Amino acid sequence: MSTQKLKEIIKQVLPDVETVICWQEGYDKLNVTPIFITSPEQVDQVVWNPLCAQNLASYLPSQKKKVAVAVKGCDSRTIVQYMQEGLIDRNNVVIIGIPCKGTVSKKKVQKAIGNEPVEEVTFTDDAIKVKTPSGEKTLALADVCPTKCTSCQFPTPIVYDQLTGDAIKSDKPPESVYADVVELEGKTLEERKAYFASQFDKCIRCYACRNACPMCVCQDSCIAETRDPHWITQRNSLDEKVMFHMIHALHLAGRCVECGECERVCPMEIPVAKLKKKINKEMKDLFDYTPGVNPEDKPPMYTFNVDEAKIKEHKL
Amino acid sequence: MRVGVFICHCGSNIAGTVDVAKVAEEARKMPGVAYATDYMYTCSEPGQKEITDAIERDKLDRVVVAACSPRMHENTFRRTVMKAGLNRYFFEQANIREHVSWIGLDKELNTTKAIEEVRMAVAKVMKNKPLFSSSFKINKRVLVIGGGVAGMQAAIDCADGGLEVVMVEKSPSIGGMMARLDKTFPTVDCSICILGPKMVDVAQHDLIKLHAYSEIAEIKGYVGNYQVKIRKKPTYVDWTKCTGCGLCMEKCPTKNAYDHFNFGAAPTRAINIPFPQAIPKKATIDPNYCRQFVKGKCGVCAKVCPTGAINYEMQEEFITEEVGAIITATGYGLMDMEKLTEYGGGRYPDVISGIQYERFLNASGPTSGHIIRPSDHEEPKTIVFVSCAGSRDKSCGVPYCSNFCCMYIAKQAILTKDHIPDSQSYVFYMDIRSPGKGYDEFTRRAQEEYGAKYIRGRVSRIYPKGKKMVVKGADTLLGTQVEIEADLVVLATAVVSAPGAGQMAEKLHISYDTFGFYVESHPKLRPVETNTSGVYLAGACQGPKDIPASVGQGSAAAAKVLSLFSKDMLESDPAIAQVNTNNCVGCLKCLKTCPFQAIVEDTLRSGKKVAKVIETVCAGCGVCTSTCPCGAIQLQHFTDNQLLAEVNAICQK
Repeated sequence: MSTQKLKEIIKQVLPDVETVICWQEGYDKLNVTPIFITSPEQVDQVVWNPLCAQNLASYLPSQKKKVAVAVKGCDSRTIVQYMQEGLIDRNNVVIIGIPCKGTVSKKKVQKAIGNEPVEEVTFTDDAIKVKTPSGEKTLALADVCPTKCTSCQFPTPIVYDQLTGDAIKSDKPPESVYADVVELEGKTLEERKAYFASQFDKCIRCYACRNACPMCVCQDSCIAETRDPHWITQRNSLDEKVMFHMIHALHLAGRCVECGECERVCPMEIPVAKLKKKINKEMKDLFDYTPGVNPEDKPPMYTFNVDEAKIKEHKL
Repeated sequence: MRVGVFICHCGSNIAGTVDVAKVAEEARKMPGVAYATDYMYTCSEPGQKEITDAIERDKLDRVVVAACSPRMHENTFRRTVMKAGLNRYFFEQANIREHVSWIGLDKELNTTKAIEEVRMAVAKVMKNKPLFSSSFKINKRVLVIGGGVAGMQAAIDCADGGLEVVMVEKSPSIGGMMARLDKTFPTVDCSICILGPKMVDVAQHDLIKLHAYSEIAEIKGYVGNYQVKIRKKPTYVDWTKCTGCGLCMEKCPTKNAYDHFNFGAAPTRAINIPFPQAIPKKATIDPNYCRQFVKGKCGVCAKVCPTGAINYEMQEEFITEEVGAIITATGYGLMDMEKLTEYGGGRYPDVISGIQYERFLNASGPTSGHIIRPSDHEEPKTIVFVSCAGSRDKSCGVPYCSNFCCMYIAKQAILTKDHIPDSQSYVFYMDIRSPGKGYDEFTRRAQEEYGAKYIRGRVSRIYPKGKKMVVKGADTLLGTQVEIEADLVVLATAVVSAPGAGQMAEKLHISYDTFGFYVESHPKLRPVETNTSGVYLAGACQGPKDIPASVGQGSAAAAKVLSLFSKDMLESDPAIAQVNTNNCVGCLKCLKTCPFQAIVEDTLRSGKKVAKVIETVCAGCGVCTSTCPCGAIQLQHFTDNQLLAEVNAICQK
């Protein structure tokens, strides 16, 4: 299994780097948390299974020294985008790529087992077996995977220094990526408004989506919480909630790498990535640009071009 | 905070459709407003005194004037509040004339909107901060782009005024369009004879530095301190050695090169000197036609050149000039007559453009001043002129009048009669536009003394019939169709913006209209200024213009530069971007999007990377502020909070 290979690679790169960022088992068998490996003894704690959903690349911009990081295909887009935006120095990162067939949504599993305590978790090729006090339940991976895995185009990392297994090709059609957006576009303005109102109304402004977002650069200076400029108040109203999500979506215009972290961490199960995906689709149409796929690309919103081929209003 | 609000009647301009007394009454109820009144003409001296008195009497610390556009009187009122001891940025102007009274007739609606405008201005002025400008030194050199008659006039006037001038001309010689003309209207004097002395002045003036066959690659900086990167195109002839003897041109075996100077009226050699009076009178090789470049061997010119000036290896060269002001005199272009398919220009050799005909008339033109039919080189007897060929025609994308075609057609009709006394000219026209001094008399002379037959109507089609060209059109005065069998047809092709005008405007950061003509600061009162301080316009780059108007504007632009340079220091505009380093996260998105390269990366003592604005370079456009995700970079006087205050003022009642 690639877990063994992963551990070997970590042992091999550890002397050259300050830290290796990987996954370890969390407080129970269904939880996986990041581990920051600085000594060889920690390597045995490393796990790799479909529960390793966290996008560890998010830690890279805050690292001061050379680090190694384990990434899935989807996570690698974050690194590519960081490179495009100059947020990391590629020479200071060792990328351990893991070909991934799909992750598991912890929340979906918990729902399926009625939120019972988890005693044991095992995996087969296409299923997850969860043992609880009331018995064992087998769930198909396809039923409990996060939305993003159903249309995954990059099962193998785009950039890596080492690969833990053989590269996998995507078996999902490219159109499937924006299928949900297309479906939403088919609805009337009123229907869409009602949909987003019902979703965003659930928001408790915990900012987990923002904090988990690898592309959010403002960190503690988020304008959702500043008074200068005072764009939104702390009032508990739909307007302010929508405003916050609009700001986050617009700050990610042409930058969202669709890692799904925002949806993964949302305690209210709001489809927060949907707006961002819609903008990505527009960016694709307008600038033929997909975030985080080619380190040589220039993000369109990071440039000043007077003439854009597909924007008609301004012609030289 | 004590805000004073002054509502201007502007005579009946505003008071006619806005209940100004009600606006003042409502203003009094707005939070922060200590005093509000309406006045007949707030910009008048007593009107301004009303403001200064009220500031003193009512202890006002902020002032709002609801009147015309700030582009008219913002400076007036800023000075007024300054006189009364307030910072000039504690003033806001609500535009209730251009934005309200002039655009609607419904008094009630207008009054409501005017109140809203005032409410916004009051909300903003309370968020305003005092700003102070600093001063900086200016480089008293001027760049003139374009060596046509307007550019030359501007350069000579600036140089005579003691300024160092850098002139950049894209073609091998200065002279522009006027150098191509045979005669000028309405005096019918020789064009090059009156232009020649000016060209010599430019060449000989100690203070004028000419870069011919060069283009502007890049412009950096701001009023007073521009760095201009100039691309010197390779001429493949060492101009320090070339004596302009013309031997190379005589011997060049390539005889089919496109003649840019003659607008393709006849082919020329691959190495040429555009015209006898050219300045500099130096040869240039056209690598698109030269056999040495196309086929890789020839070298005839190198062999015959007595001074060994030919250098096929020459590369383009970049030089940088530092200047303090820029005069743009890039001129105009002409519509490609092939666009007018119904007239057959480009398809039939005997349908030519006005400028080509001009070259045929000229003694140094391709035919040495003999009018010929290009198809068989015979002398034409019946010549038809078609005015508005493309002009005033929305379907051609040129809804405007090309300004001088009526006049040059009349001139060409007169000259045709002079050249070929037994010829007959016909002129198809829409209207005769001849408003200049002596112009109308001139067009009458063409008809009455020179017998040109003027037909009011447009030409629908031109097609060949044997050796003749049939011009089919309408005579709207007689209400009939006419057909004229002509030997030669001359199209007065529409005047369009110079090729690449838009790109040049982007380099200069000036506005241009949908047709590519540059936009002046005010169509009546600031006709040679642009909205970018330090950049001025001269000649037809602003719109179709005849010679006297171009020369006048050239001089006017020079006067503007001279008055700008009469000071040693310039005041900077404090309404520029500023970084709050506490909030800046150093993502440097602003640096990448700034169109003026006014933002650099800076490291604080703590080691934190932040953006830094170079104050003098920032133009206050605000691209960075809308790019910054955390609102750390703010455009002073237009901060997010100031604009949000305005938004809140109209959204919350």
